[in-house]
Amino acid sequence: MTAVTTYWNRLSVPSRVLLVALPTLLVLGGLATLAVALLVAPLLDFLAANPDLVRFAIAATLVIVATIPTAFLIILLELKVIARMNLRVGPDRVGPFGLAMSVVHGLKVLAKEDYTPRGVDVPIFTIAPVAVFLATIMAFLVIPFAPGLVAQDFNIGLLYFFAIGGLNVVGLMMAGWASFNKYSLLGALRAAAQAISYEIPLTLSVVGVIILAGTMSLGSIVEQQAGSFLDWNVWKQPLGLIIFFIAGIAEANRTPLDMTEADQEIVAGFATEYSGMRFGFFFFAEYVNVFVISAMTAVLFFGGWNAPFDWPFPVDLALDPGSLGLGLLFVAGLAPVLGTVLLALPFWLGSSRISTLQALLIGFVLFNVLVVGAFLGWAFLSFDWVVGLFWMMAKSYLFVLVFVQMRATFPRVRVDQLMGFAWKWLLPASLLNIFATAIAVSILANR
Amino acid sequence: MDRALKTLLERKLGTSMEGPVRLRQDQAEIRIRPGDLPQVMRTLHDEPELRFEYLADLCGVDTGTTFQVVYHLWSDVTPDWLRVIVDGIPREEPRLPSLTFLWKGAEWMEREAYDMFGLVFEGNRDLRRIYLPDDFVSFPLRKDFHLADDVARSPGGGVRPMERAGAPKDADETTLRRTSPGA
Amino acid sequence: MSTPTRPSLDDPALSIPVEHAGIFDAIPLARTERQQEFYALRDGEMLLNMGPQHPSTHGVLRVILKINGEQVTDLDPVLGYLHRGVEKLCENADYHQVISQVDPLEYISSLFNEWGAVLSFEKLLDLEVPRRAEYIRVLSAELNRVASHMLYMGWFALDLGGITPILWSFAERDEIMEMLAALTGQKLLFNYFRIGGVNGDLNHEFMSRLGDWMSRAGAQLEAGMSLLNENEIFVRRARGLGVIDRETAFRMCVTGPNLRASGIPFDLRRAHPYSVYPELDFDVPTRSEGDSLARYLLRMDEVRQSIRIIDQCLHQMPDGPVSARLPRLLRPRPGRAFSAVEAPRGQYSTYVISDGTDQPFRMRIHDPSFLHLQLMGLLMPGNLLPDTMAIMASLDPVMGGVDK
Repeated sequence: MTAVTTYWNRLSVPSRVLLVALPTLLVLGGLATLAVALLVAPLLDFLAANPDLVRFAIAATLVIVATIPTAFLIILLELKVIARMNLRVGPDRVGPFGLAMSVVHGLKVLAKEDYTPRGVDVPIFTIAPVAVFLATIMAFLVIPFAPGLVAQDFNIGLLYFFAIGGLNVVGLMMAGWASFNKYSLLGALRAAAQAISYEIPLTLSVVGVIILAGTMSLGSIVEQQAGSFLDWNVWKQPLGLIIFFIAGIAEANRTPLDMTEADQEIVAGFATEYSGMRFGFFFFAEYVNVFVISAMTAVLFFGGWNAPFDWPFPVDLALDPGSLGLGLLFVAGLAPVLGTVLLALPFWLGSSRISTLQALLIGFVLFNVLVVGAFLGWAFLSFDWVVGLFWMMAKSYLFVLVFVQMRATFPRVRVDQLMGFAWKWLLPASLLNIFATAIAVSILANR
Repeated sequence: MDRALKTLLERKLGTSMEGPVRLRQDQAEIRIRPGDLPQVMRTLHDEPELRFEYLADLCGVDTGTTFQVVYHLWSDVTPDWLRVIVDGIPREEPRLPSLTFLWKGAEWMEREAYDMFGLVFEGNRDLRRIYLPDDFVSFPLRKDFHLADDVARSPGGGVRPMERAGAPKDADETTLRRTSPGA
Repeated sequence: MSTPTRPSLDDPALSIPVEHAGIFDAIPLARTERQQEFYALRDGEMLLNMGPQHPSTHGVLRVILKINGEQVTDLDPVLGYLHRGVEKLCENADYHQVISQVDPLEYISSLFNEWGAVLSFEKLLDLEVPRRAEYIRVLSAELNRVASHMLYMGWFALDLGGITPILWSFAERDEIMEMLAALTGQKLLFNYFRIGGVNGDLNHEFMSRLGDWMSRAGAQLEAGMSLLNENEIFVRRARGLGVIDRETAFRMCVTGPNLRASGIPFDLRRAHPYSVYPELDFDVPTRSEGDSLARYLLRMDEVRQSIRIIDQCLHQMPDGPVSARLPRLLRPRPGRAFSAVEAPRGQYSTYVISDGTDQPFRMRIHDPSFLHLQLMGLLMPGNLLPDTMAIMASLDPVMGGVDK
């Protein structure tokens, strides 16, 4: 043994790492090869036999992955847009023009100390953020982003969406109750009261859309709004839109209806005792929720992935790069060099302060931008799902901007005014909407 | 300088005042005894010719030998401020009636006078310290207040509250780690 | 509801189990009548500590609230977190040094703090201040009033949840602070007034900034105010909130804009004029509703009047010295002097007793925020928790002044 220890002590740290790692890797590699050889065939058979399961697994993974950049983007929008509305600039040091701020926020939230205060109910305290985030991600599953780009197009998609919204509240209440803190308790009770009050108008306001569409499947609702912007549901259900949007603000806990997390009164409401990634979950879930409500508004009332005018796609550009034959290699090799040089030329010639290297760098970047742009343009013209995704994202982010602008502009509505508004105004209005829609549909059907 | 006010006060208050009404610039000053305070104030407040409804200030003064409490009042009938000095409050028994029956706003001002001087206002429902911690023993604005000694003597003095939190309730200063005041 | 019981530390409902207590203090033994009344908890009530560290207490203030669900039934403010012993410090400083001691009291409107002190000393000395100095005092003080009210507007909106008006009002305030920095050398605690005048004459930079500002002040301020005046949510929250009626106002010794918003047109600049205010033409805005919205609108009216005053000062400014020459060691005759100025928050008064030496024998400072905080105890019970902050913000307390 002593020989081994003396030998070990004489090694440097990298050598020690290699000495342990290499044999381990070899052994693991061997085992993996064995596993693959034995298991891959039955696995592939299984996957081929259940394509729906595969599709669902991929879709779910993509959805979870997609929520994170969405949250980042919305956080960034909020920081910069509200800053501009406040006559400020917002973050402008991190990354070019401060665009990397969200990423830094995410890293910061990961790096913070994540502790459990004394006296909390540990299981519930730990699970609460998960419940809230889960509710938001699950709502993502039914949103139709483009024709064919919907994770799971249930035929009761809309009902599923509202049911999952209820899980959000449960998470908030768990957070508030489990934290050993009166402020959190107040936040939790407010969250429950507000969410329950506004869920009813939220659900009832889209009944009109369901009556018109005849189905609860979101994909079908969007397809029925195809055509020009005059076919969108907003013209047929204006009151429904207003009620849905306002109730959506309350469900997303955004100003002016953000009693739940009123900063100035109850510190951070239900999230007072949370820090680190747990708070990050709440934080991200809120922003993803904003996107979800915006996306649903776009889907239900503004035609989802339909363009505002009849889009003659797919446009067949009749491009055939393969016809160049060997010349394709030549073009692929020469085009970047030529493009870089040509685009660098005006900068190199025009200003004496820019050195050759800098000019070439600028040229390279511009060439890449052009190539990407051309590629996107080609995709836009050729694939209907690219177009659909573009329009869907444009509309959703338009409503996200409305959310952000409202946060900058409005003070908060008081608790009793908020509840009174839901029960005394939104609920009767949504019932009125349903009756009016039903009567209109029956009259038009009979004619 | 309102001489009409002087005659008015002498007519209404008469024997309650000790000494003449002093006028200087825009202030009229009267002195009264502690026992006469409620009735003098009631007269000043209620009399239709006086109507001193506005209490501008209430403060304590330590003259070195006795305590005084000084009230400043305002009325629409005169352009002058009226200063009422309650003089001759003994140091060993600094009690006098409270004005909270007339002005509820005087409650905090009397609390401050109690906190700073130790003046006890009888009738004030909430006579406790307002600025200093509840366990402070001495009264800072008195002329015989000596900071270092008094603060050290107070149970709160010199010990940071967080250090005290974990110790049993009857722990005294020697068992708690102590730093010198100001450190 | 069960009748309130006398609290005792043995009561299990009042004690916190040892393993949970840790750094939490037990509820103190209630000694005064009011404390006993406060700490007796009825069915369904709980004590919530809005501690010295809180996003929206106006400085370090601790308020112990007794709430029943969302409704506040009683409250007990605990002061003293910012107590610096200014009155005692002034007894150990000579008359010129008192001005720096007194500056950080109501730090947002610090020229008025200085004015109060300096006015008392000038009364003690029977000193006549040169007219140019008086005009400069009024000019700079009214600028400070505008800045203070701008902060008030922003802070009020912030406590209601609106995050934009405070930044707009700070943009305004920034311009005024730059102006005053050109004049006095400081942006917040100016230390500009001296006994017998001011510290320095107007200079070119100040005048050019002031000219720029005046040319667009009116329109810019109106634009800022329109963010809130026409905001439905803001108006609905502030209307009818925390109403102070005439009786209560007099009983609680309320002063300043809070008093004028309740219908009593009492402004020290008109009722008991000092400096050159008798020569200036301005209105005293008054509103009769007494609620938070009235207090807010009144302060905005006052801003407009202040701009009027500044304009007149600029036009009527006489020439002459800007301060009286005084010896370094100032020994006034023994005596007493009281003076009050109309600070943006109310009546800021000082009472100074001189004993013939170069240090004041007693320097009593009475600032308005102290009594306005006392008002909270009357206004808040019965309202909901969000309104707590709104009421406190509408009364405009500054903890530096409250705690001295």
